[in-house]
Amino acid sequence: MRKQFTLSFLLITGLLLASASGWAHHGQGLSFATDHMWTTWATVEQFHYINPHPAIEFSRVDKNGKVEHWSAECGNNPSRMARDGWTKTRSLALLKPGTKVKLYVGTSLAGGFNGIVNRIENEKGEAIVETGEVRNAVDMEGVPSGYQPTAEDKAKAAKASSIDIYDKDQK
Amino acid sequence: MTNNNCLMRLSQRALQALAVIGVVLFMMPQISQAQRGEGPPQPGVGNSDKDKSPYNKHDFNGFWVRNPEAQYNQPPCSECRDTGPSYGYFGDVPPMTPEGEKRFRQNKPTKGYTVGSPEAERNKNIHIAYRRAVQAALSNDPEERCEPLGLIRLVTFSGGNPPMHIVQTDEIIVERFEWFWDNREIWTDGRKLPVVDDYGPRFNGYSVGKWEGDTLVVTTVGLDDRQWVDAFGFPISDKAVLEERYSRPSPNRLRLEMTLTDPVTYTRPWKSTPKVWGKVPKEAMKIGGWAGLVEDRCNPAENSFFRSFEPPAPGQKKEE
Repeated sequence: MRKQFTLSFLLITGLLLASASGWAHHGQGLSFATDHMWTTWATVEQFHYINPHPAIEFSRVDKNGKVEHWSAECGNNPSRMARDGWTKTRSLALLKPGTKVKLYVGTSLAGGFNGIVNRIENEKGEAIVETGEVRNAVDMEGVPSGYQPTAEDKAKAAKASSIDIYDKDQK
Repeated sequence: MTNNNCLMRLSQRALQALAVIGVVLFMMPQISQAQRGEGPPQPGVGNSDKDKSPYNKHDFNGFWVRNPEAQYNQPPCSECRDTGPSYGYFGDVPPMTPEGEKRFRQNKPTKGYTVGSPEAERNKNIHIAYRRAVQAALSNDPEERCEPLGLIRLVTFSGGNPPMHIVQTDEIIVERFEWFWDNREIWTDGRKLPVVDDYGPRFNGYSVGKWEGDTLVVTTVGLDDRQWVDAFGFPISDKAVLEERYSRPSPNRLRLEMTLTDPVTYTRPWKSTPKVWGKVPKEAMKIGGWAGLVEDRCNPAENSFFRSFEPPAPGQKKEE
């Protein structure tokens, strides 16, 4: 019993600690509208198990019946995914073209049908791939184009690109 | 044991578990804060290795990681982790020379706190290098283009998730790095450092090592100046000399302290924060029945495909 308790505790603690990292990943916050994560059901067109990060091409249907074709990156690199149990064999088997999945998406700040996918769930609600923050994701099932960045979102990236940090801040 | 007793015992266990999880949840902000470099744990401080087995302090063979508990089911190593943001050289950054400053400003990293972000604002006390990350489309980080990372970056990054494999013989130590599938050699056969200009600088330089007691002291020259010191865009010149001091303080710990002397770029020698790795048995690294490093090579063709999903910078047109 004690061993079971210890194991459960270590597992839960490990998962919590693993999720605590908040370090920037490739300037992610400036590339994608990660402040406005959203969810949608989608159909896998292709899952690419590639370096430095896997990528997924998927389609979704809006409430008017129009099909949108999206492409997105997923956060972790293949070696880390494999060591977490998501080998190429397993990932590709579970994400075959035609598979229905629920995706947690951050749209590219440039707009359009590019983005980052931080979580992929199967129809049972189980996480197949989870690589980033998904809290506060908003259900946008059927909403045409999902979440598209506002002028304010785009201004955030533009402003950050133009900040002269050196003259006033250099230590 | 009666059913009631059993239930009571189970409730007690559940309460115990909830209490401990509550403590962990309560500590999350502090843990997160520590990872951001605002508090403990301190990298390189203390030794969490409980293994008291006899071992050879001059034997560095094996697989070494800086996050042994995360993916390899090894005992945790709090002193192994850099406090962040991300992995790097760290330490007290010296003032740069005018040449160093000019090159530093030209380098646009993607790692660290995003420029203009609330995290960058909250961490204004740290060096500007760690709070100036830009989106990939605006960066000139060699890593983003699969160009060689360079020695210090390979060593300091290795082990965060991708491990470092050390192969040691009587005359050479080879460090193999999973990320970028690169390697560096440390000759311990008594040779002298070369005349660098006769062949030219190399991304991983020329290294010789000698033992001082139980510490392996490695001197490296001839580092190609296209590399960055670490992910934060610190420049380096080909006149730099790097001293690395490796030791194995316990069976499952490898420790490194570095000093970079580069008068072209920095106004005084720069000591890194200590870097500590935990040892991982190769069996714990198995993928598909194959134990060892995986080829985590940055393949330009794959990288280019991946980058096609990345958004352009504001005002930048995306190639069709």
